[in-house]
Amino acid sequence: MATVTYKAASRIYPGSDKPAVNKLDLEIADGEFLVLVGPSGCGKSTSLRMLAGLEDVDEGAILIDDRDVSNLPPKARDIAMVFQNYALYPHMTVYENMAFALKLRKTPKAEIDARVKEAAELLQLEDYLKRKPKALSGGQRQRVAMGRAIVRQPQVFLMDEPLSNLDAKLRVQTRSQIASLQKRLGVTTVYVTHDQVEAMTMGHRVAVMLDGLLQQVDTPRALYETPKNVFVAGFMGSPAMNIKTVPLTDTGAKFGDTLIPLTREQVAAAGEGGQKSVTVGVRPEHCTIADTGIAVEVELVEELGSDAYVYGFAELGNGNGAERFVVRAQGGEIPRLGEIVHIKPQVGKEHIFHAESGERIAV
Amino acid sequence: MSDTAKVSAPPRRRKSASKRRANWFVASFLVLPVALYLILVLSPFAQAFQFSMTNWNGTNPDYKFVGLENFKKLFTSDLYSVYLIPALKHNAIMLIVVPLAVIALALFFAFMLNVGGKSRGGRMRGVGGSAFYKILFFFPQVLSVVMIGILWQAIYRSDEYGLLNALLAIFGVPLKSSGWVSDPSLVLVMVMIVMVWSSVGFYMVYFSSAMASIPAEIYEAAMIDGSSRVQTFFKITLPLLFDSIRTAWIYLGIIALDGFALVFIMTPQQGGPDHGSEVMGGVMYNFFSNGQAAMACAVGVILFFFTLTLMALSMRLTRRENVEL
Repeated sequence: MATVTYKAASRIYPGSDKPAVNKLDLEIADGEFLVLVGPSGCGKSTSLRMLAGLEDVDEGAILIDDRDVSNLPPKARDIAMVFQNYALYPHMTVYENMAFALKLRKTPKAEIDARVKEAAELLQLEDYLKRKPKALSGGQRQRVAMGRAIVRQPQVFLMDEPLSNLDAKLRVQTRSQIASLQKRLGVTTVYVTHDQVEAMTMGHRVAVMLDGLLQQVDTPRALYETPKNVFVAGFMGSPAMNIKTVPLTDTGAKFGDTLIPLTREQVAAAGEGGQKSVTVGVRPEHCTIADTGIAVEVELVEELGSDAYVYGFAELGNGNGAERFVVRAQGGEIPRLGEIVHIKPQVGKEHIFHAESGERIAV
Repeated sequence: MSDTAKVSAPPRRRKSASKRRANWFVASFLVLPVALYLILVLSPFAQAFQFSMTNWNGTNPDYKFVGLENFKKLFTSDLYSVYLIPALKHNAIMLIVVPLAVIALALFFAFMLNVGGKSRGGRMRGVGGSAFYKILFFFPQVLSVVMIGILWQAIYRSDEYGLLNALLAIFGVPLKSSGWVSDPSLVLVMVMIVMVWSSVGFYMVYFSSAMASIPAEIYEAAMIDGSSRVQTFFKITLPLLFDSIRTAWIYLGIIALDGFALVFIMTPQQGGPDHGSEVMGGVMYNFFSNGQAAMACAVGVILFFFTLTLMALSMRLTRRENVEL
């Protein structure tokens, strides 16, 4: 059990001016499940590897339980890591894989045995203890990798995209297993993924990164409801939010022929720096198909059974021509290809951002 | 239905004909190499067995069948066993020492060059200048055996101009008057040093590439599990290199069973002094060049069975489940 603190931690790869991780400030509470998420190359894996001791901390510091571990080797940090490709020792059986770290620490045999058996039971691996990794399926290997981390009883679990080598169905299943396992063990966990659904469903809090910079850390719901900037708004949620830059008027944002009303303060904030336009975000699930509103020509319909996503193009009158637009349609009234539908953003559900800086403008 | 059957029948026949033609085509490629192998490799083997049981001297056409007389002489007659017995002993020693030394050194160098460097920050890397060392150590491999023999002859020179003597002189070791390769108790060691020196580079590169195929994550996992560098080497690297080591062992065994060229170039009396560096290949050569071709064949037959036993044994002893990375 431990807290983890990144204090302005940076990683600058030799031969590059741009930091892979730029002054990361992050506090992870004891027992918390924190998910690092972002597109590839955003520095999320590097941040995790810095915590593991597999990457240098070039500036700043990383603390585990108020102890500066920035310059400690991995084995002195009391952490366990689950790798994307599991990194199981191919020449050892499942039992030996899980017992390896304990054996190195000269743990008594009886205790090793008890801990491995316990973890194996927890992960339903009892029948496979004598097998080598190559005789296991992907899901079983993944569980062995988890088991190897669990038997260590470490201060912190680190997981580097542990589900991305599994097929879709197994991934969803394992996702909930990992989350409930973490809850049961109560061990502080840092989890890296590029999949925002994984991030939303698993994390107590989610840290969104882009280009080495931390964008926002918050609960999944808060990220969904109040994204701090355009990037977070577009990254979290599926399908992605419709984010359009439209003309700014004295009373609101001119969204096609609909006016999205803004408060005087919002208009003032959006107009900062002489801006004549404003960025408006509307989630597909926050649009209604109506008789009047923005005209959208339907290009594709994704039927999901309970509802459908309608992809189309809309003229928003901002000089950008026809722009892509996604709307969720409720079961009954699913439009056809080529049809023109009219949509209305739900009042109060829109997100307003500064057109230039992309920062959120609060109500 | 009947229409399609009629249509489809001829192509099938044509197909099998074309298949037969394809087989002939493939066979035509095999005829030449198989014939060459039969004539140039297998038939001499068979002939060696045949000649080893005659009194052929290499030129006499009226040789006679003598049974196992030659083999008996090789092992019991003072005239012959003085060659064969030390040669067998030396090859046996070389067979153990050379592969062990080469593999141990090559593994050590490969480990240093690949994962032995500073590991701050976790990235496994070799010691500084590892690319340069790789080329340096590989260098003996591009020299011919004759070159290596002559080179080391110069190093082992018995006067003060020998490199070894000159180096030892710096540390105040007096000149070894008997010389290095003219001491019967040292000569075999000296030859083995050269064999090891000339092989280490190649096996270092061989093990390096085998190590490079071990995923970095496995090393990282071991590091996080608390494994020290030495533990990682013995518990992770070595077991994962098992297949490569076994292959290296077999090749090095073959090298150790030969050793003829080096002995021939470097040692006095080509196997001396006092039979101190006799090897099977050398004994065979001596008998042959002294007009005792049948004896040479008998030595060859002994060597054949010696090698066969060893290979079967080592394959059998090292058989185990393959490890997939």
